[in-house]
Amino acid sequence: MEVLAKVAFGVYTLVILGGAVLAVSSSSLVRALVGLITTLIGVAGMYLLLATPFMAFMQLLIYVGAVSVLIFFAVMLTHAEKGGDEAGKAPMKTYVYGLAATMTPAALLGWLVMKHPADSMAVPVEVPIKQLGEGLLGSYFLPFELISVILMVAMSGAVLLTWEKRGKK
Amino acid sequence: MQVFMQHILPLLIAVVGAMIWLGINALLWVYCERKFAGHIQRRPGPFEVGPHGALQPLIDGLKLMGKQLVTPDNADNVLYWTAPIMTMIPVLLLYLPIPYGPVLTGMDVNLALLLILAFSSFNGLAVILAGWSSNNKWGVLGAARAVSQAVAYEIPLLLTVLAISFMTGTLSLVDITNLQAGYIHNWFIFKQPLAFIIFIVAMFGETNRAPFDLAEAESELTAGFHVEYSAMGFGCFFLAEYGYMVVMCSVCSVLFLGGYHGPIPGLDGWWWMVGKTFALMSFMLWVRWTYPRVRFDQLLNINWKWLLPLATANLLATALIMKL
Repeated sequence: MEVLAKVAFGVYTLVILGGAVLAVSSSSLVRALVGLITTLIGVAGMYLLLATPFMAFMQLLIYVGAVSVLIFFAVMLTHAEKGGDEAGKAPMKTYVYGLAATMTPAALLGWLVMKHPADSMAVPVEVPIKQLGEGLLGSYFLPFELISVILMVAMSGAVLLTWEKRGKK
Repeated sequence: MQVFMQHILPLLIAVVGAMIWLGINALLWVYCERKFAGHIQRRPGPFEVGPHGALQPLIDGLKLMGKQLVTPDNADNVLYWTAPIMTMIPVLLLYLPIPYGPVLTGMDVNLALLLILAFSSFNGLAVILAGWSSNNKWGVLGAARAVSQAVAYEIPLLLTVLAISFMTGTLSLVDITNLQAGYIHNWFIFKQPLAFIIFIVAMFGETNRAPFDLAEAESELTAGFHVEYSAMGFGCFFLAEYGYMVVMCSVCSVLFLGGYHGPIPGLDGWWWMVGKTFALMSFMLWVRWTYPRVRFDQLLNINWKWLLPLATANLLATALIMKL
């Protein structure tokens, strides 16, 4: 079983990295979106490996099923052509900057994790969803509600923006 | 070796079983659909191949496999062929957690309902991908409709499922089935009649079936999202559509009609589950050939102005009653 878990970890890592490379390297916006979706699916696999199937399925349901569909809609509305302003080859400098920008946080986080490894169990234990719900509505009640306030603000902001446009017409 | 025997072998058997079950259902329901359509419209339907045209779906399948796969000009080649695969693969997974009988359950997971809802949401994505990558106006229009429809109808569906899991305190389909054991009054359709109706309506929206098949709408969009697909590309969408229908009907019979439990105790078994699922499937076909397609604004109005408030009210009422 341990070998299988390692194999699964490798496969999911490849899926995540492959999706990420596809997302940044493709000139078509829709292909980039497919890369993002691939990465999201890989992350869901990682959740499964951590014995949190609830998070994994929620990830698929919300991000793959809803959020990426909405992004797709936005991409379709913009009618993104392949040959845009930035379709040409970028100068070497841009690649170096890009690599530095991605490697710095990765190296920093990697160094931190290596330096101070968190206490973890050899085999992750699944937390029953009942306990998860009690945690969210019990000991972590305030942060949980605050997050919903943020979503509420974002939603009313979106509505407000469209209302203003309608008024000007 | 022991790991293999204990964990992997049952899963393999379940996957192969799901494939066979999907194939049988596709053949059966393609035939039934055409026969139903025929008789509702006062004509015999397929009649030439085999007795009463019974071999027609098999021959059609062979025809689809024998045809040429065509990719349209300037279409996004990779995405164009990803879409039919992406719609097919999750369907197989969806059959695994459905309890067809006390023993006849592919895999008994705690979060079976969530698993089904999560993986069935891949279908919407595949439909959009297919419509967009075909490089066809009708395809894009179909995809645009599919987006708004998929996002909209998922919400009342989730809310009704949530009402059931509020009552039962579980997301496992096996547990939900077992809570409906005994006499017929234990079935959740009698405790949640409104949720049942909302679920049925949302089911038509989720599976893109008439009267809510706006994404393909052959009279206005020729075939919508799959207009450019030939041969098995089209075959995959077709197969997946029936696959999703059977899954949704199975989930509906587990949630509301007692799953593999009969109306009186002592007669439980897979025959009830299959019978209920098939009855719901026939209902879906019946509706398709009886009602005309709705307009797109009507489709969205039904969802946002009726189903969503009703489902929310139903959920709140359920929560209140559970608290008392």
